[in-house]
Amino acid sequence: MTGPTQPKPSAADSRSVRFRIARCDGPGKPTRWETFAVKIDRESAGANVISCLQHIAAHPVTVEGKRTTPVVWDSVCLEEVCGACTMVINGKVRQSCSALIDQIAPNDGDEVTLEPMSRFPVIRDLWVDRSRVFHNLKRVKAWVPIDGTYHLGSGPREPAKAQDTRYTLSTCMSCGCCLEACPQFTRQDDPAAWDTTFVGAHALSQARLFNMHETGKQLAGERLEALTGPGGVADCGNAQNCVKVCPKNIPLTESIAAMGRAATIHSVTRFFKK
Amino acid sequence: MDTQARKVSVLDRYDFLLRRLHSLTGIVPIGVFLIFHLLTNSSIGWGTLDKRNVERAGLGGHAGVAAFNHDVHFINDTLPFLIFIEITLWASIAFHSVYGFYIATTGRSNVKRYGYQGNWRYVLQRVSGYIGILFILYHVGTLRWGWTFLVPGGTRWSAEYAASTMALALRGSVENVTVAGVVVSLGYMLGVSMLVFHFANGLWTAAISWGLTVSAAAQKRWGYVCTALGVGLMLMAWSAVAAFATLDVDRAESTERNMQKGSLTERAGRP
Ligand code: SF4
Ligand code: SF4
Ligand code: FES
Repeated sequence: MTGPTQPKPSAADSRSVRFRIARCDGPGKPTRWETFAVKIDRESAGANVISCLQHIAAHPVTVEGKRTTPVVWDSVCLEEVCGACTMVINGKVRQSCSALIDQIAPNDGDEVTLEPMSRFPVIRDLWVDRSRVFHNLKRVKAWVPIDGTYHLGSGPREPAKAQDTRYTLSTCMSCGCCLEACPQFTRQDDPAAWDTTFVGAHALSQARLFNMHETGKQLAGERLEALTGPGGVADCGNAQNCVKVCPKNIPLTESIAAMGRAATIHSVTRFFKK
Repeated sequence: MDTQARKVSVLDRYDFLLRRLHSLTGIVPIGVFLIFHLLTNSSIGWGTLDKRNVERAGLGGHAGVAAFNHDVHFINDTLPFLIFIEITLWASIAFHSVYGFYIATTGRSNVKRYGYQGNWRYVLQRVSGYIGILFILYHVGTLRWGWTFLVPGGTRWSAEYAASTMALALRGSVENVTVAGVVVSLGYMLGVSMLVFHFANGLWTAAISWGLTVSAAAQKRWGYVCTALGVGLMLMAWSAVAAFATLDVDRAESTERNMQKGSLTERAGRP
């Protein structure tokens, strides 16, 4: 990743940035590389990867002058809160909407490489199917159980200190960065394997979030049952890449250790109780 | 998982238990054994500091050799239930390495892209496991199971001549270190370094896995402890290998003879 260097103003305050993009026409189709040039000038001040992709979609012509199909990507919020636009930029996973061109390609002729995330099936080009991220949240029941047929009244009070910890955990946007960078979270194209392979750092952290919640606690036992099952917390290899790449700075390794502790206690008590 | 009755393999069903057992066996008994083993081996160096060993060695004797031989005899003759200790240890090593290989197959390293220090340790933990188990097999095979064809000079290790035969197995000859001796000695250096790293790093990650160190600060603090332990063990291991590889074999042997007070059994396999 290039640090936030000051953009060097080039001739006429305009520069050309090359985008080298991994293209794929659909699931199971081969990958090919195409390069596009995008002019960055005063008008496109504050450009980010998505705005450049929009430009490329409008002018799908490679640097060789070959006309091609518009590049496809996913995005929703454009302010780094939805996680949809996550992709691998210059070899590192991050959100493309918050990847500013002035920072990642400050000079004329700089190249930016764009690839889809490798842990999820590609739908097309840079757009991947992140269903497994949400499937794994379901595995750990990452929600508060409040559904019912009548009004349940107000819930228990939430201690302020726990709120503090929980607030940070709650900023997770299910983007998948922590999964993309995790050596233990391998790609599984067959959904049948999803229930027995590693849940991932985000799910461990969300299990912690809802186990700390006074009402969410009701499902704590079930969450820990899942985490002491196949692909649970013990499958983490402690490489700690997840915490390095999380765009929300969620203390994932603390969550993993907290769930490791809860799982230890849960499995020991289960041994003596049942 | 709820409605569908899916076939779940034994490895999956006991995933959590097996992984915790894997973590546990690495510390008890394997890690504890490693510490005591390195303490014994490095007594070839620090043993000279203890007056009793100077007495044991006798006139002109090598106190380090006396210390090491004394320890070996203590282990072989005095330690109770030695056979049970050995069986537990071997069963643990077998499980830890076989299951460790399996764990390694469940992950895919990505240090090229994410060259963080923690990620490098993740890779090194696996590599050190592979090299470590090969080293253990060579080490025990050549010294205990009689694979003397793999020993430089073909020395057969004997408990009575523990220090001198060990030195010969590293040197290849009494007079000087042969080429094969250099290779084996360097191999020992590599092997022990890998095992010590594997243990120290494993101890650090185990505390996270079991949930002992939860906060990042606690993980860091425990990291310092594990580093200090690792450095200490590393120094012990290196000094032991270096001391044996440079040992005066004749003097060591005469020390050993002195210690046996005249019960002179011929050492087998001396080249
Ligand atoms: S924990 Fe961080 S990296 Fe992982 S999905 Fe949530 S926001 Fe993304
Ligand atoms: S600490 Fe665990 S979850 Fe995080 S990247 Fe490493 S193996 Fe994956
Ligand atoms: S579009 Fe929502 S995070 Fe980028």
